[in-house]
Amino acid sequence: MLAAIAAMLIAFSIGSNDTSNSFGISVGSGVLSFRRAISLLGIFVMLGALTQRNVMYTVGSLAELDTLLLSISLFISAFIIIFSNWKRLPISSHQAIVGSLIGAGVVAGSARLDILQSIVLSWIISPVSSMLLAMIIYSVVERLISRLPFFIAERTTSFLLLLSGIVIAYNTGANELATALGPVVSSGYLDATVAAILGSILLFAGAVLLSGRVVETVGKGITPLDAFSGFSAQMSAGMTVFTFTLIGMPVSTTYCIIGGIAGVGILKSFSSVRISLVKQIVLSWIVTPVLSFLACFIAAGLLTL
Amino acid sequence: MRWLKRFIAGGKEKEVIELFKEHINSVKLSCEIFTKAIESGDKGLLTEVCELEKTGDAIRRDIALKLYEGAFLPVMRGTLYKLAETIDEILDTLENTAVDYARLTSELDGDVRELCVKVAILNTKMSVNLMEAFEALGKEADLSDKTIKIRTREREVDAIKREIYKKLVKKEVRSFWEGKILSNFIDGLVNVSDIIEDAADLIQILNVSLR
Repeated sequence: MLAAIAAMLIAFSIGSNDTSNSFGISVGSGVLSFRRAISLLGIFVMLGALTQRNVMYTVGSLAELDTLLLSISLFISAFIIIFSNWKRLPISSHQAIVGSLIGAGVVAGSARLDILQSIVLSWIISPVSSMLLAMIIYSVVERLISRLPFFIAERTTSFLLLLSGIVIAYNTGANELATALGPVVSSGYLDATVAAILGSILLFAGAVLLSGRVVETVGKGITPLDAFSGFSAQMSAGMTVFTFTLIGMPVSTTYCIIGGIAGVGILKSFSSVRISLVKQIVLSWIVTPVLSFLACFIAAGLLTL
Repeated sequence: MRWLKRFIAGGKEKEVIELFKEHINSVKLSCEIFTKAIESGDKGLLTEVCELEKTGDAIRRDIALKLYEGAFLPVMRGTLYKLAETIDEILDTLENTAVDYARLTSELDGDVRELCVKVAILNTKMSVNLMEAFEALGKEADLSDKTIKIRTREREVDAIKREIYKKLVKKEVRSFWEGKILSNFIDGLVNVSDIIEDAADLIQILNVSLR
């Protein structure tokens, strides 16, 4: 029961913080109203959570944990995610959850390091592939759109922005939410369908109640990018995360979007990429799973003494 | 999902496009009336130019409202509003010039009148070209042939302007105000083509804003 509550807390937190990934650009650019964006998010997150089970299965197989250890690891993950959101630290919920589960798994002696290896490899490959894909998408779309009359190009761009937002929303359910729900589903505390529905509702509630400020910040922050750059970054991230979802790997949409933005930035001018920001993200990329691992390892070790 | 259909069809955008067409059409009508008024010397026609200016103001406000409500991507809303303001400026200039024409105390000399009619006709043709350029935003990717026509005609107007001034400096005026009103009228008439060219430039900027 406690593990399920912690998973739902994480779902709520994903809703409050990650809504901006899917529709931040669309809301910021005026393509969608906030209310409409939230409705679309709710629909596609639930669709993603109900139709994709691969990530749930992978994360659930990371470690065989008893009720106590599972609850500890999910509560520590929830605490780290909520604390980071509150402090506005750019962390990935996947990394917090995986780090915690492995921490508890090592204490229990059931951690599956082979799966961890694949996941870490996915974390390295996914932003890089998103970056390369963004470069391809940007080049192709820019060429195609430049052949269209202005009014048709404008409609097409708006539609593409909406489409990329929908893909990301679907991934939020299929990958991000699935990562939070995987451990409780594989432990048998919740049925996969029930977990997907409950998780989606909690995520939706988080989005409705707390995401407004984040969506606005991301929207305004990314809008100075031209419409194609925004679309290319978002679509490349959406396609990358979707591909990794199909092979059951929990990867971060946020990092893939950052990879996509960097890709477009490199294509336009390498100097436009803020190296200091990249360093900060890489640091967070290393610190988050290590911190989650250590926190859970120590807490689980103390409680099982 | 009615909003989705409307979104894909671009409901708000279509409304703005229609308003722009109406706005440019007001410019065309105003230029035509102005030409007729100078040709015939019927100053009574000019009240219609003032009416069209009021219509233009209302259209500009409607465009601003629709853009504020979310028509078009934000990156291009500024240029679209600037275009509406520029079209409005053409109508304002035509109105001010009409008032100056109505206040002229003496009739225009035959050759100056002829040159003024030429400018008015060129202004009308440029307004037609402006409409063509705007309509091409929905049909063609390259507008350069449309905007080149406008630039060429603007140069013709500049040449006629120099001819008019050559003739005007030889003309004797009875009072300061007679000379000032005449000068304002000529300046206003030739200035219309400059503003139409500015509007064409904005259309060209819009066209490349998504490239």
